Amino acid sequence: MPAISLTINGRAHGPIEVRADLSMNDFLREVLGLTGTKFGCGAAQCLSCAVIVDAGDGTSATMPTCVIAATDFDGKAIRTVEGHAKDGALTPLQQSFISHFAFQCGYCTPGFLNEGQVLLERLEKAPIPRAELERTVTEALDGHLCRCSGYVKYHEAVRDVILADPGRFLT
Amino acid sequence: MTEPSRRDVLKWSAAGGIALSLSRLPVAMAAAFDDTQTLPGRARPNPAAAGHGRIDAVAKVTGAKLYVSDFRAADMEGWPATTAHALLVRAADATHVLTGIDLGALDGDLKPTVVVTGQDLAQAGLKGPPFYAGDLLCPVGTTPLYLGQPAALLLFERFDAFDRARVLLREKSPLVFGAETGALARPNYAAMRFTRVAGPTPDAPDVYSPLMEGWISPGVFEAGGRPVWQPLPIAEGGQYKKGATYGEAIRAGIAAADPAALVLDRSFRTQSIDPMFLEPECGLAWYDPKARALRLALGVQSPLEAAEALGDMFGAAKEGVRPKSIDTRFAHLGGGFGGRDHTPFPLYVALAAIFLPNRPIRLAHDRFQQFQGGIKRHAFDIRSKVAFERATGRIRAFAADHVLDGGGLANYSASVAVVSATSAIGAYDVPKVDVTTVAEHTRGVTAGSMRGYGVVQTTVALETLMDEAAAALGIDPVTLRRRNLLKTGGRSMAGNPWTVSVRTPELLDKMEAHALWRGRAAAKAAAPAGTLVGTGLALCVKDYGTGADCALGRVELEPDGRVRIVCDAVEMGNGIGTAMANRVAQYLGRVADEVSVARIDAFGALGLVTSGDPYTITQAAQDKAAKNPRWVPAISSATSASIGAHVGTQAAGEAARILLRFGLWPAALAMWGIRKNDPRRFLWEEAYWQDGMLIMSGLPPLAQPDLAAKAHAMGALTGTMAHAFSRWAWAQAAFPLDGFNWAADLDALAVRRGKGPFKVLDRSFVAFPPASYNRIGTAFVSGCGTLVRVEIDRASGAVRVARGYSVLECGHALAPEVVRGQAHGGFAMGLGQALLENLPPFEDGPGNGRWNLGDYVVARGSDLPVHALEVEILPPVAPNEPPKGMAEVVMIPVVPAILNAIADATGKRFSALPVTPDDVRRVL
Repeated sequence: MPAISLTINGRAHGPIEVRADLSMNDFLREVLGLTGTKFGCGAAQCLSCAVIVDAGDGTSATMPTCVIAATDFDGKAIRTVEGHAKDGALTPLQQSFISHFAFQCGYCTPGFLNEGQVLLERLEKAPIPRAELERTVTEALDGHLCRCSGYVKYHEAVRDVILADPGRFLT
Repeated sequence: MTEPSRRDVLKWSAAGGIALSLSRLPVAMAAAFDDTQTLPGRARPNPAAAGHGRIDAVAKVTGAKLYVSDFRAADMEGWPATTAHALLVRAADATHVLTGIDLGALDGDLKPTVVVTGQDLAQAGLKGPPFYAGDLLCPVGTTPLYLGQPAALLLFERFDAFDRARVLLREKSPLVFGAETGALARPNYAAMRFTRVAGPTPDAPDVYSPLMEGWISPGVFEAGGRPVWQPLPIAEGGQYKKGATYGEAIRAGIAAADPAALVLDRSFRTQSIDPMFLEPECGLAWYDPKARALRLALGVQSPLEAAEALGDMFGAAKEGVRPKSIDTRFAHLGGGFGGRDHTPFPLYVALAAIFLPNRPIRLAHDRFQQFQGGIKRHAFDIRSKVAFERATGRIRAFAADHVLDGGGLANYSASVAVVSATSAIGAYDVPKVDVTTVAEHTRGVTAGSMRGYGVVQTTVALETLMDEAAAALGIDPVTLRRRNLLKTGGRSMAGNPWTVSVRTPELLDKMEAHALWRGRAAAKAAAPAGTLVGTGLALCVKDYGTGADCALGRVELEPDGRVRIVCDAVEMGNGIGTAMANRVAQYLGRVADEVSVARIDAFGALGLVTSGDPYTITQAAQDKAAKNPRWVPAISSATSASIGAHVGTQAAGEAARILLRFGLWPAALAMWGIRKNDPRRFLWEEAYWQDGMLIMSGLPPLAQPDLAAKAHAMGALTGTMAHAFSRWAWAQAAFPLDGFNWAADLDALAVRRGKGPFKVLDRSFVAFPPASYNRIGTAFVSGCGTLVRVEIDRASGAVRVARGYSVLECGHALAPEVVRGQAHGGFAMGLGQALLENLPPFEDGPGNGRWNLGDYVVARGSDLPVHALEVEILPPVAPNEPPKGMAEVVMIPVVPAILNAIADATGKRFSALPVTPDDVRRVL
């Protein structure tokens, strides 16, 4: 069996032997017990399983874990929902999700949180005009399914973090 | 509503000598699990305290273990550490005989440790409860009863073997089929007729109504199972004959050529859809054969039902496979929408544990399996005939026939059929109504409870008919609706009045005045080239409650003022924990520090007993049973039917009120130094809370923690535990408290003083709602109106909902932002039902095991007017108006409003769902 090593929420894991066809989702949930990352469809359609992958060049992107083998994450650094808050201090996006009542059942929340965080970090590096904000948020979150919320409050929560600090995210 | 009697359930588990853990103190492992379900939890902040978030919010944004799918054996204190895994193999064929199970593809390491078949269950004496009629596992030699019926349960000790087997068996089913038999025939689930003939004036008694004469069923069926609706000249079914004779006369009246009437005769088809809650069904169980103890963690909307169903399944089982005790714990849900109410899934979790003893085992659907085996919304065929007075626009008479596909496993089909009939005339006052409704057994996937059941389907038909009639009559759509509204005190089609506020005139006023409606002509005229623009509205009233709903609530006050609530309601995203905390805070001056949900085990002190079926009990039986002060008509309800705000919070709310009156208020009197003969000691309802202080005119404000400490110190009440029951009215009882005979909308009460134990109080008086209320179809309703603007691309036929406005009323909104969120979510689900979601019946449908997201399209953010969706919540009619249920009503008018907007844009009416771009393109 191949062995993988990776960094999750800043902590090194591995080398750990895994089946070549073990999904990353099952690696996180069954092997490591990190169940904050959810399983929704197993077909990369709902993205409740998405985690953040931090590339070496300082950029980040979300990636579904349900259809990708754990071995594909060998050597990578990822962040999951469990890693956003530091020492109990919630991030502005977590705070915004809460104060906007963004989610209901909360099962899709880890995916939305990861996607929203990636967007914030992207805009911090490459701010956009105010006029493009709503469209940008919609496009960024559109891969994620939510059955409870109608998306309105999720979008408002992400948008309002950006509007609260326009010098950081907007041109 | 029809439901198998609980008496059988209790009898079976009692006969089997099984103790269901409904009243035992939690054992260690359960206490640890319960801690995970008690939010926000001591280590987390509570955003709900200041109204800035939900009680469960911090847990949900930090990935805390909360849902049952998050738990493994290693997370359960006192359980063996490793988790085994179960795989349920379901049949994708229901027309051929199952001849065998070929597991040849699973060799070597992949071989399951145990294979459980229908024969194994039969030998063990294991049988499903009556509610889920049919074999739990299709026996070899039998044709599966329905597509998706489980046929084998494979138990694996190692995850890797399970995981690989799951993928292999998805590609090639191990089930071997032989000769074609066709689908198995079974009786239909229900066939009912609801007929009402009003008296000559609104005040005159009805000539005939379901309330007066009882609900009727034809009792005569064709060979194929279809009911014979005509009043046949036979001796039996005389009661049916009377109603049917009135019904046929109504139909003849509609059919008679009358130039003064506009008659519309239309057919509609609504599709099957999946609740598509994001967390597939899952459960974890461990059978300890030494102790003969079965322990489970589940995620369902109906905890007591699930626990009792387990007791029932094992009740007649053989010694070796019959546990002595079953301890079931319930987790937060990753969505429900009705689809986890009365689901048979927990039965399979328990079977997995029993057949692999001493090994904790997990059964979890993947999404293919959830589509294949989960409960669906009923597809409907509806034919509606309605006669309008041309001169006035008033509806003269209405007749409809509903045919529901109930699928192959009994579930809520009978109830859905009834609800569809009693909601068929929506918000309107119609003097002559005749509706037949039949829930058919088919080989399809199981249809059961889903958000707005019965009403979504009929409201689509009714509200599109109203628009068509308005156009034909030359009357504005809002005006036509307004002229036909059922007024306060008017009778519904069952013959009873609604007993809550009726706000439909205001909803129509709001929509009529909205810029989206007033600007509809201008928007149409301004449509860009290649785009059609249309505006549509619809109105809906929806019952909340089932006619036999109950709540358990326990409220505890600590000496430092902290408030803890324990309840039986389930948190599935509906915000019940937050609503509960806010309702209790009205009385205790502090938003709860801890809310523990889905707890049916925490009310043992009440010593509740029940008997009979609350939906069918006779008055004599109820009166007799009520003599036992521990008897209640039902102990715990499913969290469904929009009962969260009204019913789910009732017991805790009333418990908190009593805690204020007999706990904090006596403490306040003592701190203020008010003596026994001072009349101010009775003015407790004039005191109010502000910023954690109890305020009473002319007296110094008192801090809530000081009051709590005083209550503890002086031996006043510091905890209350209550049960409430509603059958379209609350059961009321009086309890001896501090020299008073205290009346409340409760039927059981226990109290705690200081840190002492809870002690039950014998009620000195009780009035349960009369058994005759079971003939009421709907008495509690809330309303919602939806207005949408659509833009249709002429070339592709794609319909885009560009703007939306929903106006709703729900009495006192306990958690307004949760209400608003429900309305947004309802809009999205309504849009999906109108335009996107579709499950074909039978072999092409989800029962074939090949459906997943991608094929099944759920609305995404880009499908919705995320930045142009307005929700307005009407303020309550009075400050003390109780909360009304609203979680279902907000999705329903969205569907016909979109259809009406498409008709406005295209001039064409669609009567089958969903309306696809191809459908639109064909008519353009």
